[in-house]
Amino acid sequence: MRARRAVSALLVLACMATATVSGRKLESLAAGRDRSDRLLYLPNGRYLKLASLGQAPLLADLIYIWAIQFYSDYERKERFRYVRHVFGDVVTELDPHYIDAYWIGALILIVEAKDLEGGLALFEKGIAANPDSWILPYLAAWECALAGFPARAAQYFERAAAIDGAPTSVRRMRAAMFSRAGDLEASRAMWQEILADPGSDPTSRAIAERKMVEVSMQIELRDLRNAVARFRDDNGRPPRTLAELESRGYIARVPQGPDSTAYGYDPGTGEVHAPTARVLGGAQ
Amino acid sequence: MSQAPIAVPSAGAAIRAIALNTFREAIRDRVLYLLLVFAVIVIGVSRLLSLLTVGSEEKIIKDVGLSAISLFGVLTAVFVGVSLVFKEIERRTVYTLLANPVRRWQFVTGKFVGLLVVLALNVVLMFLALAVVLWWHGDSAWPLFPAILLILVELTVVTAYALLFSSLTNPILAAVWTFAVYVSGHLAWSLPLLKLKLPEGPSRLLCEAIYWVVPHLDDLSIKSEVVHGLPLPPGQVGVAALYGISYAALVLALGCLVFERKDFL
Repeated sequence: MRARRAVSALLVLACMATATVSGRKLESLAAGRDRSDRLLYLPNGRYLKLASLGQAPLLADLIYIWAIQFYSDYERKERFRYVRHVFGDVVTELDPHYIDAYWIGALILIVEAKDLEGGLALFEKGIAANPDSWILPYLAAWECALAGFPARAAQYFERAAAIDGAPTSVRRMRAAMFSRAGDLEASRAMWQEILADPGSDPTSRAIAERKMVEVSMQIELRDLRNAVARFRDDNGRPPRTLAELESRGYIARVPQGPDSTAYGYDPGTGEVHAPTARVLGGAQ
Repeated sequence: MSQAPIAVPSAGAAIRAIALNTFREAIRDRVLYLLLVFAVIVIGVSRLLSLLTVGSEEKIIKDVGLSAISLFGVLTAVFVGVSLVFKEIERRTVYTLLANPVRRWQFVTGKFVGLLVVLALNVVLMFLALAVVLWWHGDSAWPLFPAILLILVELTVVTAYALLFSSLTNPILAAVWTFAVYVSGHLAWSLPLLKLKLPEGPSRLLCEAIYWVVPHLDDLSIKSEVVHGLPLPPGQVGVAALYGISYAALVLALGCLVFERKDFL
């Protein structure tokens, strides 16, 4: 009886040792191989949904969590090959309302894989599936702004601001981004809209009031500088005063700066200046 | 000397007695231990998520919780349901029972109601456990309630099938058949798509017939909608519940009919 027990114990120990050693060996064999190609064989979410028997959101969560671990491994080579497939064709097909998956997938594509268009395509898919969610166009706008495309960012902020429930801060971003993109008239109209809206919070109204002055000055400065340039082209010299622009029909009237402080003008160089003490941002 | 007449219980009293007995039997079989496993899974997942995920942990806790409630419920319904009638026949206790003034349909209905009460208790307790975990994360579980209600309706349908098959065959086959119904019920929505691919004729008619016969279990699943807080079409929960309950009643009636005609000798 005792001998049988000893043999059994030895067998168990031998099995444990074999499993441990072979497991280690397998790990070392797998260590040198890039297994990211396995992602290619992850079926499209539409087919996985069929097999999930009503548990598609849970399956989406599991693949999402696994993808986070996979894409967080900075030692893995070529790990960005299938990001579009994993997030665009699998996770978001399984759960089309999974906002985090669109956001994180797009972030990985844009920031890590340097694929702005891929990231924006994922955002677009999310926007189409979640038309009531302002956060996706808002996030897409920030990615465009950070990538140096203010005009595209402005369009995304515009879409975010048009969705019911978007906070006033989104409308502020929209107005500021239109200004950065060079569409000053649109920006001024948007600040005016925030200022006129009785639902705007006091902070937004104060910012809008300040921005209205700033953008108005930017518009006036731009118009004055354009008029001076045209005058110089026609006459071979800059105007002697800003009033000359008005008398010669280059502008309808010389604008007054904020608090009726006149714009500065140097007839020698033809440079127009803002009354700098009152100007914020890049209006000088 | 005249014999005292045997008191015949009302149908309700007979069903209640058998249901109570079924409930006690399931509790003695430690079915409620599943709750412990559920609680460990939900709490474990909620702790693990803070390490693994990026974004909303609550969304994943809700998904895991609802899926676990649904899957544990289906497993309980299938494995307890398929042996309910068969066990009585195999142990021959059915003879003693049917020797009493209890009709066969009352016996089957009592078994059904008893198991349903066990499942309802399971679901409610699991939902409360999920609510506590969500509350701990600063979220509320109450918006999930319509999904819980429809999970219970889905379990009613599965239980009715488990009992029907339990009256027809042995537990292993009954479990396989019930799972087959569960799977096909979740794939029912794909049958109209399949029908479009089929040529005109008997195969199309068969596809159409199967579509109407299998339970549309996918229509009872609103997990994604409640987790994301999406608006549901007005009356959807009510209509889905009505569909599931009336479907389960039909299957139960079929089960009663099969049991009525069953020859135990």
